[in-house]
Amino acid sequence: MLTIPATIPLLGWSWNDLLFLLLAGGLLGTALLVVLGRDIIRCGLWMIVCFLCLAGLYVLVGNPLVAGAQVLVYIGAISVLILFAVMLTQSKSGPARLVFHHQAWAAALAALGLAAVLVIVDGATNWPLAQPDRQATTTTDVASRLFADFVLPFEVVSVLLLAAVIGGVFLAKKDDAPRSDSDI
Amino acid sequence: MSHSLDAYLVLSALLFAIGTFGFLARRNAISMLMSIELMLNAVNLTVVAFGAFVAKLQVHAAVIALLVIAVAAAEATVGLGIVMAIFRNRKTPLVDEYDAMKE
Amino acid sequence: MNVLIPLIPLLPLAGFALTGLFGRLSPNFYKVSVWAVVVSWAVAMIVVVGALGHMGIETGGLDVKLWTWIPALGFTADFGFFVDPLTACLLIVVTTIGMLVHVYSIGYMAHDPGRWRFFSYLNLFMFSMLLLVLADNFLLVFAGWELVGLCSYLLIGFWYKRPSAATAAKKAFLVNRVGDMGFALGIMAIWTQMGTLNMQDVFAKFATVPHEWQIAIAALLLCGAVGKSAQFPLHVWLPDAMEGPTPVSALIHAATMVNAGVYLIARANPIFGAAPEVMVVVAALGIFTAILAASIAFTQTDIKRVLAYSTLSQLGYMFASLGVGAWTAAIFHLMTHGFFKGLLFLDSGSVIHAVGDEQDMRKMGGLAKKIPITYTTMLVASVAISGIPPLAGFFSKDEILGGAFKNGFLWVWAIGFLVAGMTAFYMFRLMGMTFWGPSHVDPVVEHHIHESPPSMTWPLILLAIPAVFLGMVLGLPPETGLIHQWLGPVFEATIAAHGPAEQAYQFFGIDGGLMIATVAFIAVALVLAWRLFGIDLPGLGLTMEPRPDRVREIAARPGLAELYRGSFHKWWFDDLNDFLFVRWGGRLAAAVWWFDRVVVDGTVNGVGRVTIEAGEVLRRIQTGRVQNYALGIAGGLIVMAAGYLILAMR
Repeated sequence: MLTIPATIPLLGWSWNDLLFLLLAGGLLGTALLVVLGRDIIRCGLWMIVCFLCLAGLYVLVGNPLVAGAQVLVYIGAISVLILFAVMLTQSKSGPARLVFHHQAWAAALAALGLAAVLVIVDGATNWPLAQPDRQATTTTDVASRLFADFVLPFEVVSVLLLAAVIGGVFLAKKDDAPRSDSDI
Repeated sequence: MSHSLDAYLVLSALLFAIGTFGFLARRNAISMLMSIELMLNAVNLTVVAFGAFVAKLQVHAAVIALLVIAVAAAEATVGLGIVMAIFRNRKTPLVDEYDAMKE
Repeated sequence: MNVLIPLIPLLPLAGFALTGLFGRLSPNFYKVSVWAVVVSWAVAMIVVVGALGHMGIETGGLDVKLWTWIPALGFTADFGFFVDPLTACLLIVVTTIGMLVHVYSIGYMAHDPGRWRFFSYLNLFMFSMLLLVLADNFLLVFAGWELVGLCSYLLIGFWYKRPSAATAAKKAFLVNRVGDMGFALGIMAIWTQMGTLNMQDVFAKFATVPHEWQIAIAALLLCGAVGKSAQFPLHVWLPDAMEGPTPVSALIHAATMVNAGVYLIARANPIFGAAPEVMVVVAALGIFTAILAASIAFTQTDIKRVLAYSTLSQLGYMFASLGVGAWTAAIFHLMTHGFFKGLLFLDSGSVIHAVGDEQDMRKMGGLAKKIPITYTTMLVASVAISGIPPLAGFFSKDEILGGAFKNGFLWVWAIGFLVAGMTAFYMFRLMGMTFWGPSHVDPVVEHHIHESPPSMTWPLILLAIPAVFLGMVLGLPPETGLIHQWLGPVFEATIAAHGPAEQAYQFFGIDGGLMIATVAFIAVALVLAWRLFGIDLPGLGLTMEPRPDRVREIAARPGLAELYRGSFHKWWFDDLNDFLFVRWGGRLAAAVWWFDRVVVDGTVNGVGRVTIEAGEVLRRIQTGRVQNYALGIAGGLIVMAAGYLILAMR
């Protein structure tokens, strides 16, 4: 059997680092494509790739459950929903018109400022390093927490989802009941 | 690099900033929603990263992340429903034409 | 007595209110006001008898306090009346002449539809003047002072549709205001120095005031008196006040309101006595006004203007008399002048009425036989004012001149002597042009010349009686007559403290000599007037033809021509006032108006404009687009976070 060397042969990095770099690069790149792309359908598709990279990062960090939830929910449900909505709201003039506002430059500045502040804060603080004996979280652990200590938020979120479903249906349905006073 | 929290936080900060730019700059309403999803994901990444580096918080981080995903789903549903309703009225998905509240 | 005294001013006040409110309703309602004044006169006569009979002599006078008007902490003023012999003398003049003028006005204003307004104003005036005369504290005097000014304005401008009348009313009010300002300052000075405004208290405390303040207070009170009594330089309003109806001129501008200044100085004699510097100013102003006005009266052609300048001149006499310390003589002259000047004005009104509202003497002449009653009474009054014995004017004028000479003011005496002659001259010029000689009346009018109705002639006759006899009644024997018995106690304190001592009358000494000199000079002036303007008294054997060509010739002589012109133009005082105050004051006012409009209003309006424009600008933020708002939120968030960061980094 082939054994994977402990570090990358030529560079001397650990495999984790390489994986991290790949996933991080993919994440940021696809995110940029999502916000800068012209065609919305393409943006949606790049968004799916972005979510995949994120899932990979969750696995890298040691939280496979969340990674699984990410793939199932975000890619499987939300992205599909968004793509459906895009297709339903195509305006007639098509994607040839302006993609960005006049305020795009101000928005860019705001985004840069935000990034700068956050990065500075992050750099100025002493964060703890990884523990060498870190374990991945197990489903049992999460379940016992979720259904014991956090059962109230869990139930509330269920109600929220119900409300969202009903609300979504109501908002999206057509007004097809005939007006009762049109016969008089 | 991946053994320090710094990297993950910077990464999620940059993702959040990209999401902000997209939210403030794009004209299509659904693009705005996509950017919101990006921002939510950045937050999720932050939470999970913290959980990974602080041993006591690992499980809590997972729980929070799951709940955030659920709420994001609900929010996307309702948001898209609203966009559909407005689209039916205005026949356009471009938010800078929704200016009925203009002074 | 305590009930009667307030009744005197209250009756005309009620008359004013009733006539003012209801006078329109019935054409005869105004007679209520006449009755009010008649009853007031009757009550006043009772009070006068009481006061002169020395009731209340212990306190120097009767004090009737009605109520506390202003009971503020630290400043109290009462509404009260004070009656002493000085008040009594003024009451006689004011109520009697007031009553007769009211009766006269019934006939004079018979054709005027605004009659009810006239009578209500006349009643208001009576109330104000009585308030002024009866008041026991300076604040109440000031109230009456201002009110008579107001009534003067209302009555001068009675025919308000005439622009000249409206202007004259404004002029009177404004010029009076200048004096009133000084008066008000004087009252404030009295208050700050002595802490009380009650006149008797003030007089008692006056000696404790530092001398500079005494002079200041006296000077300020003098300002007020100068304005109201039309002395130089505030004399300009009186001749123009002749725009009002003649009864107004008779009542206000001859007999009552203009005497207010003289009354004030006489009443405040302790104040003035303590400031001899101011007394000299009083005398100087008075005698200068006398000769100035007399010189103008020489050339005026409007009958009422001549009488107006005559009033100015006689008031100057009174002021001069006060200034030299002959207090009683001044009040004596005030009384006699009130009667014969009132008579002269009412007579002139009768004449004007007879020749169809013509006031220019050059269009009169030869009226003696046609309006006999008017003519006779006017002749009597002219003789009285000229100072011919034994009529009233002779006694009072002689006392003034005698007082001036004996108290050492020789320059006052000399000018007064001249003015006496000038008075005789211009009065008989008036008589000659109006009543004697050939008639220059407009032929159309000539047929309608008629004597006035009885409501107008009875007051004339009634006024003629005191014009003849009052001097003898009050002034004989000289220096110890009734008037001196009455007024002596009022002034003796001041004379004892400050003034020159009264010397006994020496008929065969200085007084007799002065008297003969004066009478002789007057006689010369009379003859001069008769030769130029004519006289027609066959009963006395005096008949001379007027010689207008001779008059013109004299007036054209080189030195005299300039004097004639100056006199005719009232020595250009009105033009000076117009230049200084109307023109330059107007420019100053325009500049201030520019400042107010552009700078002050501009600032205020500018604030409003800035607000509106800022709003216009800021309203663009409300785009209605959610993303713009979100950008704002993001921006704010970043700024706050950065701020925190910077603060945390320090």
